[in-house]
Amino acid sequence: MAVSPLVAPTTDALQSSSRPTSSSLKRQASAVPSSNGNGTPNLPSTRAAGSGGMTLDPIEQLNEDEKRKYIKGKKLGEGTYANVYLGHARHDPSVLVAIKKIKVLQQTYRDGMAPDAVRELKYLRELHHPNIISLLSVFSSKDQNLNLVLEYLPLGDLEMLIRDVDRVRYGAGDIKAWMGMLTRAVWFCHDNFVLHRDIKPNNLLIAADGEVKLADFGLARSFADPGRRMTANVITRWYRPPELLFGARHYGGAVDIWSVGMVFAELIIRAPFLAGNTEVEQIALICKQIGTPTEDNWPGVTQLREYTVPSEVVPVWGKEAYMGRFGAVGPDGVDLLVRTVALDPKKRITAREMLEHRWWRTEPKPTRKEDLPRKSSGGEEKMGADLRRRNGLLEDESNSRGSKVARKLDFGQAK
Amino acid sequence: MATEDARYRESSQYQLWSFSPTQLAAMREKTNAAARARIAQRLSSMPASSRNTSAPTSSANTPDPDGASTPALPEFLTPAEEALLVTFNTSELLRAGDHAEMSDEIKATAAAFFRRFYVTNSVMTYPPTEMLMVALYFACKAEGVFLSITDFIKTFGRENPEEIIAGEFLLCQGLRFAIDVKHPFRALRGAVMELGTFPDIEPARLAAAEQRAREILRFSPLITDAYFHYTPSQIMLAALSLADRGLAERLIAETFHYVAPPANNSGAETPASSGPDAPAPSRKPAPRSDGEDKAQIIGSHIRDKVLGTIEACRDMLSKELPERREHWTNKAVIKAQITPLRKKLNKCHDPERWNLVELQRARREQASKKADSEDGDAEDKAGGGTIEPDGAVFGGPLPRDTKRRKMGKGLEDPFGPPL
Repeated sequence: MAVSPLVAPTTDALQSSSRPTSSSLKRQASAVPSSNGNGTPNLPSTRAAGSGGMTLDPIEQLNEDEKRKYIKGKKLGEGTYANVYLGHARHDPSVLVAIKKIKVLQQTYRDGMAPDAVRELKYLRELHHPNIISLLSVFSSKDQNLNLVLEYLPLGDLEMLIRDVDRVRYGAGDIKAWMGMLTRAVWFCHDNFVLHRDIKPNNLLIAADGEVKLADFGLARSFADPGRRMTANVITRWYRPPELLFGARHYGGAVDIWSVGMVFAELIIRAPFLAGNTEVEQIALICKQIGTPTEDNWPGVTQLREYTVPSEVVPVWGKEAYMGRFGAVGPDGVDLLVRTVALDPKKRITAREMLEHRWWRTEPKPTRKEDLPRKSSGGEEKMGADLRRRNGLLEDESNSRGSKVARKLDFGQAK
Repeated sequence: MATEDARYRESSQYQLWSFSPTQLAAMREKTNAAARARIAQRLSSMPASSRNTSAPTSSANTPDPDGASTPALPEFLTPAEEALLVTFNTSELLRAGDHAEMSDEIKATAAAFFRRFYVTNSVMTYPPTEMLMVALYFACKAEGVFLSITDFIKTFGRENPEEIIAGEFLLCQGLRFAIDVKHPFRALRGAVMELGTFPDIEPARLAAAEQRAREILRFSPLITDAYFHYTPSQIMLAALSLADRGLAERLIAETFHYVAPPANNSGAETPASSGPDAPAPSRKPAPRSDGEDKAQIIGSHIRDKVLGTIEACRDMLSKELPERREHWTNKAVIKAQITPLRKKLNKCHDPERWNLVELQRARREQASKKADSEDGDAEDKAGGGTIEPDGAVFGGPLPRDTKRRKMGKGLEDPFGPPL
């Protein structure tokens, strides 16, 4: 059908469009030529380019439609990387969302859209799973910033529950439920060839119904082809596995599993298990609490570029050694924990093997998610704070070469 | 989420960017028609002297008895002509990627981005020669390679980084923010590894087939509509079939020789898989699941369908075999087919959208003006229910237009500026 260029519909002509609208929507423009329903003749000259502005192209129209589906409310968090707002669906105010507005134009990044934004967008757009935060929509705002509409998770995060020792009490069944949800999320990522690379309690948000949701894919990446190098400088330090601390450039899902193990341990003892203040300290803690990585327990480890360990070699602790501190989850739970913190990534349990572990089938059963302990307040703010954060790459560690050179000196003196 | 097929259907590549040939043609028609309508409107609302072309068509030279109120419009590109320009520029994009020594995945992602963008955007609206560079830069990021823009443009002897950055967001929006593209390269590697396990297949034959198939994958599906119509594994099999039909047929035969066992899902539920979407693998003992999955997706009735699809894909790829690279750089071809379209495009492009840098600047200016007046948050108001007239949404008159109008008056009006 030939559309005469001279009768393109104008904004005015669409004021009585068929869309059921409130008055605020009346001035919506459509650039897609459509049959002119109201019979008003369109004069092409009514919208001189110089007088009013620009009509919307179809792609811009699509964006406007998407944006219009949500109403943005109060600010939940503000950061240099992103602001987070509470919002709701226009058609139903009871449908709450979080709108993460990523600042595309950043002072520190002059090369267009920042890596975090690209990664988060790429992976959240593809991964659909009940234990991964849902990306409901994406639109751009007028100031050319990226808005991610995420499901609203009002009950804060796991860190909040772990830390509030006085008011939040939980037991082995609760830990089993949370761990189950976390493990399924990680299994799903890995089964889709995605590494999360920043698993930690404050990236595990909690939905209104108690479901745990893995969030923040700003450091995620796809599995590399064999031989292709990746950065070792990922995962927040306390949750970072030894191979990354030793500078491994080729790795797989095992890096996330270590983090899962650290979260597991933290859930049990209600404090970070290995909380080093520096990379040096982190390695020292791993050696002390888990065992010193050597050629015996981890063939090839000494070949890693940054391999350095304290001179006093600690043998790898057996299961029994963990029973005292972590026994609350029972011998099967401890068995699973020990497998997640195997020093050699090749021997570390996989997410799928974790799901097949017998612990899930032994008593106590995982708590139903509705019955899980929760905090009554502060969750909203916590979500705001969690989502606006920049992830895992810490400022003081960005110059990793320097800090790793320093590490060797420290070990030399630490006798 | 049991099968790979089910997984693929969840991907944005399938959900947003897969079409039948009829659907795709209809979308391109619609994009073309809409662009003509808008550009005509924009051109006719500008004084004739301010247009960037003095004589858009031969009729424009004819004295207009009614004066300048209805200036003649240029001849627009047809959907077929747009398609030709997109294809030609895809070839240019791949050449640029080769020049910069980018990986196969990055070049392929860039080509997919570029072609997706021009499904819903006309080459008359946004300049394809610019957008192909934008697609290359953004594809690097999408594939996890974060180059500085200065390094990137240096590779191409360009000087203004803004030209790339200005189009990035536009591209991303045109991709409907779906930036994960699935390619057939790994599928080929897997197929070759599987074929390698058959003792009767000679390694030399296999190596030659892999090399040729890879060469095809680097070009043929990227410059055609294959990514819109076929899955990565179908594209891979089609390419392998072009390289060595016997090997492709062998692979399909081996896949379908499987005799389906009775469907059996009675594995014990584990507590960990109690949710409705719990991972399926945990329900079954690992050694059996492969066979069961196969049984579910490989019935012999599907084989014919698969073969037909691969044949169709093969036909599409065979129209642009790697040897056609020379066709798209052949001077005579360019002179005969491309140059006339470029000339046409010079006259019929969108006056408001063509300059990406100016477009971006105008939008930013508008947004920051709004931000000032609304206490720091440009779209809180709009989000709260006030929708501005569209003029305000994308900024007022572009500075470039006003400037050109002034200049145009001064330079071109034969009667000189007004007194």
